[in-house]
Amino acid sequence: MRKRLFRVLIFIVLTVLAVITLSPVGFLVINSFKSQSEIVASPIALPTEWNSGYVLTAAEQINFFGSLAITFIITLLSVVLIVLASSLAGWMIARAKNRLASVMLYMFTAAMLIPFQAVMYPLLSLFEGVGLKNIPGLIIMYGGFGLSLSVFLYHGFVKSIPASIEEAALIDGAGMLKTFFSVVFPLMKSTTATVVILNALWIWNDYLLPFLVIGNAPARTLTLELYFAKMTSGQFGNPWELIFPAVFVSIIPIIIVFLILQKHIVRGISDGAVKG
Amino acid sequence: MSIPALILFFAVIVLPFITGVIYSFTSWRGTYFAGGEGVLDSFVGFDNYINAFKNEKFLNAFGYTIKFTVVAVVAINIVALGLAMMITSLKRGGGIFRTIFFLPNLLGGLALGFIWQFIFQNVFSEVLFGANGLIHIPFLTNMLQDNTKALFALVILVTWQMAGYMMIIYITGLNNIPQDLYEAAQIDGASSFQQFRVITIPMLMPAITIVFFLTLANCFKLLDQNIALTDGNFNTRLLATQILRTTRDTAPPDYGLAQAQAVIFFVLIAAVTLIQLSLTKRREVELH
Repeated sequence: MRKRLFRVLIFIVLTVLAVITLSPVGFLVINSFKSQSEIVASPIALPTEWNSGYVLTAAEQINFFGSLAITFIITLLSVVLIVLASSLAGWMIARAKNRLASVMLYMFTAAMLIPFQAVMYPLLSLFEGVGLKNIPGLIIMYGGFGLSLSVFLYHGFVKSIPASIEEAALIDGAGMLKTFFSVVFPLMKSTTATVVILNALWIWNDYLLPFLVIGNAPARTLTLELYFAKMTSGQFGNPWELIFPAVFVSIIPIIIVFLILQKHIVRGISDGAVKG
Repeated sequence: MSIPALILFFAVIVLPFITGVIYSFTSWRGTYFAGGEGVLDSFVGFDNYINAFKNEKFLNAFGYTIKFTVVAVVAINIVALGLAMMITSLKRGGGIFRTIFFLPNLLGGLALGFIWQFIFQNVFSEVLFGANGLIHIPFLTNMLQDNTKALFALVILVTWQMAGYMMIIYITGLNNIPQDLYEAAQIDGASSFQQFRVITIPMLMPAITIVFFLTLANCFKLLDQNIALTDGNFNTRLLATQILRTTRDTAPPDYGLAQAQAVIFFVLIAAVTLIQLSLTKRREVELH
């Protein structure tokens, strides 16, 4: 009986906390349909009339479909690059029994300690020098920054599976790459899911790197559009009737993806943390 | 086979990092080197480092970052562990709570910062805690216009955002603790608090190590939320923001000085993380 009461109490506390957690998102949604004066006058009230005009204006202002496509392409190509490069490297490092392999693993791991700020200015200047201060360059940069953790995760996984399967394929005369893609890579599915989730989440929302690389060039990511929408109009006080709907439309895609892939995302995060 | 990874790694991390350390000893201006034709002519020894430690904005950001990180790491861990323990104690319905608490993690720091800027300015300062609000709590009003209050505003924001992620790691850790340990303790008459202290915490050490590592690193390197919330006004710059803005503070932009600050930043992060890892790892070993 007491235990049951205790559970009910916990349930109530969690419900209150859940409401508090969701309330900023709630403010975001209701205020996306209000005029500036209504937002400021009654910030937590429901809109007197649900006017979708603000959402449409904001979507146009931040070039929603264009920037969504750009963000999607950048995220997709960066993640593909990270997965290919780090799965191959993780596999090789785990299977090669020489000094070089352990030095490489050590290097990749140690690099996790380097903050982005320590490399950003020289990185930009180097990439600008070779004509890569653009979207392809941005994808390469993400490829580099995503490597450390991903190589580490793949290496940990490969060490846990026996080498006999791939050795059989190699003896049968399959080449290294063929063996990797037909035998090893399919086995790595769960690690690949973790690597994709951890990197995609970060790259999708990243602000600083696109800001430094793309800046205010016409083709911008969603986060950059949001930043410039606020900055350019921000000098005359905050234009909330633009910011709220802009944030609102920009988070819809990721919320949808999350609701569909929820289970995998949660597992990916706990796997990534436990093995990391 | 590892060649693609190695090329990426050298181009994006190793080469820029080494270049950055070298440039921090020069009067690099971004597009040229002051005082000569190339790098070699513009070496200034430790001048940039000395100037960094004389720079009031940098010193202020240094202290502010440390204060923020300490408060935020403690807050995030308490909230995340509390949520995880409450959720795992439920028989059903845990899944929906987990989803809700994780939700803020999906959103970028910049977008969240904009929403919270509004909450602190309009909702907190007027509707909830203002003079005519629900309960008048002066500390929770106009939080973004004061150096100390803004620190706690930033802590509230990052706790709201990161606690759900860390909660998932704690839930996994809690679920890995064998239930018979608790049953045995209950038979021995151990109180809930005793069970928490002698079973939960020691068995949770691996998860605690990871969560501390992640929260420490994330808080030290925080940038987006800082920019979105206060943009570093009222001396609220964190180190990441400070390094980014140094090139804007100085004319011509002093990239050498910014780079020296970045190297100090790296040393600070590396030292703190390594110390933390060795301390919590040692606890893990001792307790097992």
